[in-house]
Amino acid sequence: MDGQTSTYELVERFKKGDTGAFSLVFQKYQRRLAVLVHYKMSAELHGKIEVDDILQEVFLAAAQDMKHFTYQSPGSLLAWLSRIADHVIVDAARYQNRGKRRAEEMLRFRSESNPTGPEPVDSETPSRLFAREETMQILLKRLDALPAEYREMIVLAKFEGLTTKEISERVGKPRESVALLLHRALRRFRELEATSG
Amino acid sequence: MGGEDERNDAKAVGGGAERASQKERELAAALARYVDRSSREEEVDIDEFCKGIPELAKELGPLLESLQGMDGPDSSFPSEPAREATEELPDKLSGHKILGEIGAGGMGRVLLGLDERLGRKVAIKTLNRRYRDNESVRTRFMQEARALAQISHPNIVRIFSLGQPEETPHFVMELVEGSSLVEAARALTLRQKAELLQKVALAVDFLHAHQILHRDLKPTNILVGVDLEPKILDFGLAQHMESDSTRVTHPGEIMGTPDYFSPEHTVPGSQFDPRSDVFSLGTILYEVLTGSLPFHAESFGEQVRRIREELPILPRRRNPEVPGELQDVCLKALEKKPENRYASAKEMADDLERFLAGEKVHAAPTAYASLIAGKIEQHIEELEVQEPVEILSEYEFDGFLKTYGRLIEREDAWILEARRLTLPQVTLYLGAWILTVGAALLFLFQFPHLRGKVSVALIAGVAGMTIWSGLRIWRRSQLRIGIAFLLTFCLLLPIVLLLAMIVYRIAGVPSPHKEWELLANVPTPFRSVTNAQLWWAILLTLPVCAWLRRFTHSSVFSLMIAVMGVALSLATLLRLGWLEFAKDNPGWFYFRILPVAMIFFVAAFAVERLRFPNDSRYFYPIAVVLTLLAMTGLAAQHHPYQEWLERNLPWTRGQLEYLFIANAGIYFTLQAICDRFPSSQMRAVAKAFRFVIPGHILTSLLFLWFNAYVQWQDNLEDLAKKREARILEYLLPAVACLFIFGSIRKQMKNFFVSGMVFLAAGIVMWQFDLFEKESRWPIFLLILGALLMVVATRYSTIKMAVARMVRRRA
Repeated sequence: MDGQTSTYELVERFKKGDTGAFSLVFQKYQRRLAVLVHYKMSAELHGKIEVDDILQEVFLAAAQDMKHFTYQSPGSLLAWLSRIADHVIVDAARYQNRGKRRAEEMLRFRSESNPTGPEPVDSETPSRLFAREETMQILLKRLDALPAEYREMIVLAKFEGLTTKEISERVGKPRESVALLLHRALRRFRELEATSG
Repeated sequence: MGGEDERNDAKAVGGGAERASQKERELAAALARYVDRSSREEEVDIDEFCKGIPELAKELGPLLESLQGMDGPDSSFPSEPAREATEELPDKLSGHKILGEIGAGGMGRVLLGLDERLGRKVAIKTLNRRYRDNESVRTRFMQEARALAQISHPNIVRIFSLGQPEETPHFVMELVEGSSLVEAARALTLRQKAELLQKVALAVDFLHAHQILHRDLKPTNILVGVDLEPKILDFGLAQHMESDSTRVTHPGEIMGTPDYFSPEHTVPGSQFDPRSDVFSLGTILYEVLTGSLPFHAESFGEQVRRIREELPILPRRRNPEVPGELQDVCLKALEKKPENRYASAKEMADDLERFLAGEKVHAAPTAYASLIAGKIEQHIEELEVQEPVEILSEYEFDGFLKTYGRLIEREDAWILEARRLTLPQVTLYLGAWILTVGAALLFLFQFPHLRGKVSVALIAGVAGMTIWSGLRIWRRSQLRIGIAFLLTFCLLLPIVLLLAMIVYRIAGVPSPHKEWELLANVPTPFRSVTNAQLWWAILLTLPVCAWLRRFTHSSVFSLMIAVMGVALSLATLLRLGWLEFAKDNPGWFYFRILPVAMIFFVAAFAVERLRFPNDSRYFYPIAVVLTLLAMTGLAAQHHPYQEWLERNLPWTRGQLEYLFIANAGIYFTLQAICDRFPSSQMRAVAKAFRFVIPGHILTSLLFLWFNAYVQWQDNLEDLAKKREARILEYLLPAVACLFIFGSIRKQMKNFFVSGMVFLAAGIVMWQFDLFEKESRWPIFLLILGALLMVVATRYSTIKMAVARMVRRRA
């Protein structure tokens, strides 16, 4: 871990007001969270909201609430972020209907009071670009190609950062089966990697 | 992957642990150890881990690498934030000598450059090394620069040049020296603050007009130079020039601070529009005015909740020096629903300009209504409890309800404003009135130089202009002014129609009964109009009024509809030969008005039942006035009415006064009927009918007595006249007393006052007739008055004593 900073240290630094520290935490976890959010969102929601928008909310919320977070392990931070993601997704789903209505009510950019105004250009933020990133898309494609049970194992172990014990509690299977499943899942994933190059 | 594979997988999964080989179990256990460690610790080095399990390393190693690889290419912490700071400053960029670093943000750095040839210092924005290889970020970065380079505005930072492709991505822009808006505003007067915000709003509007939504407006993105000129920086991609920021502004360098978010901004995936930037401007104005943020909270969730749901604390409460007008502008920009906000930054700028010019601002924020609505509802409930127990009179209760109703009504803010007589307001309506009168002249008279089609074209053009500008102004939410234009149009439209019908000879043939026509037979300077033309012009105007009522949601147009309705009814009566009756039998003339009044009553009641009480309130008074007019006309002129009374009550001899008393009886019945309706407006109608009763009865009695008395005095032998005069002499004070005490139940003050006045008249009457030169009479009056006053003073004691006596008897 030479030359690297621990998550704990970064969290503490952020609490003391070093905003740069959060950027580093963010970089570390954004990909994992993106995958998590991707699988947490319902199919219905997927058509309507971008993963990036959720991600952005999650980090914004995390940045604000970090003061109240107590660090135990990197896993605890990820679990905490994952819980925030749950809230944000529920919130987004709840607001979806309202949002739909609002979109209709919204003045288009070109309006009576601004007749010369053309259609707006939506500027993109880096996080928006992030989920469209190619390697991310490849990863999601491969994960999607796995049988659901295998994919679940990988998502829980890798992206949600759970221990095998926690996974066994979550899915209601003995720990040994979890380990075996995970092993097979990884082997299949590895095969997919090999075939798709 | 084939379908068969998948089924095999499923089987394998189902079979689970039992069928796994020993080797596989070991591998799985080692993998589990790795997973457990890596989810509790920092990076676990794969090589090191594999050293601990040499026999499995060959198989497990690649799997672990795959697992780690899922994190993507640069998953581990970049070694320290020194990532950029340690990056050497380039010597030159685009031919500018680099002097140092101004600020650094997530996206990149802002460097201080010097154009040696021009001797000009510039700011150069570079893209973080991390993103340099990311083609799309890079493209966006350059696109932002290009978009900005195409616009030029004194309050928006200018772009000088774009970096060459072979250099580090960067662009050169104007070096802005100044402090953030909030810091700069601290030392300024309220007026200067408003000026500053007006400039910013105009600049934002300029951006909007060039397809750019800022989306991250905040004081730190707006620098103010010593000349008090604000400059907006930072578009699209966030770039942060501020070196020190006490607030948590850029956690992941990607997000804007939620402090300046609009409610729609807090909803993931929702659309932005110019009004989101207006909200941010409102937040900035609030902060500049009060020194604190409208929706700040410790936690993000709470903050989002506040932005979405809570009304800000009124700026004047935080800083009493803030003028109400500025507070209104601020609250209007901070409306939760975009449609309630200023529709554009320009409108906000215009309103700020109005404030600066000392004029009324147009903002009518809904915040006040929402703030008091809850309390008012509670109070109304309390009042409803108090009314039956008579802590509150019915009259006061109605008064409260009316006032409160106005306060709660959303649109009433500007209606109240429109009712206020200010110089611009008076001028506005004076102009509208002169315009209407001018148009009316054009229609009423014939002008030799404005013949036929020319006058139609002229007046139609004027009407077209009023409706066009009225709708435009209304849509710009300058409601008060728009309504004046639209109302003018409502008055102009029938004139246009009439003129067109005259010129093009539509319905221009007078009816065969010449005497039925109102304006068809007028001498030359006037234009002749047939009743049919009048009728059609008014009829065609009605739907336009109705449409404007729908479009504006303003009940003023219901007044217009009601007035047009009266006009239409009268025109209908004209076509039915109303005028003929006016000459021969005026009684029937008035009789014809009664059905119109009835129609208005029914219409008003229907409209009120349909839950448009604001509209019905214009119909009721018209119905009442028409009824009173018709009934009075009937009493005065209608022979059958008189004959009917004479036949049934011969002693009245069909005298006018008795007819008025009969009318009062009819009003009494009407008010009793109206009072039974469960509607406050019907109750008001009942009150209006009640109001005229004492005048009718008491005045009639007085006249009757006078007539009888004079006739008796003429012929002292006429004992019938004497009896009549005497009866009336006793009746008048008695009825007056009846009204005095009758005022108690419904709190009718006019009953009380008229009763008092006519009682005095009766006393004087007695003095003339009965007690002339009798000194006992005034003495009796003195004693009676004093006695009544004493009784009133000891009212409760006497009441108790009487009650005790009554009980003892029982």
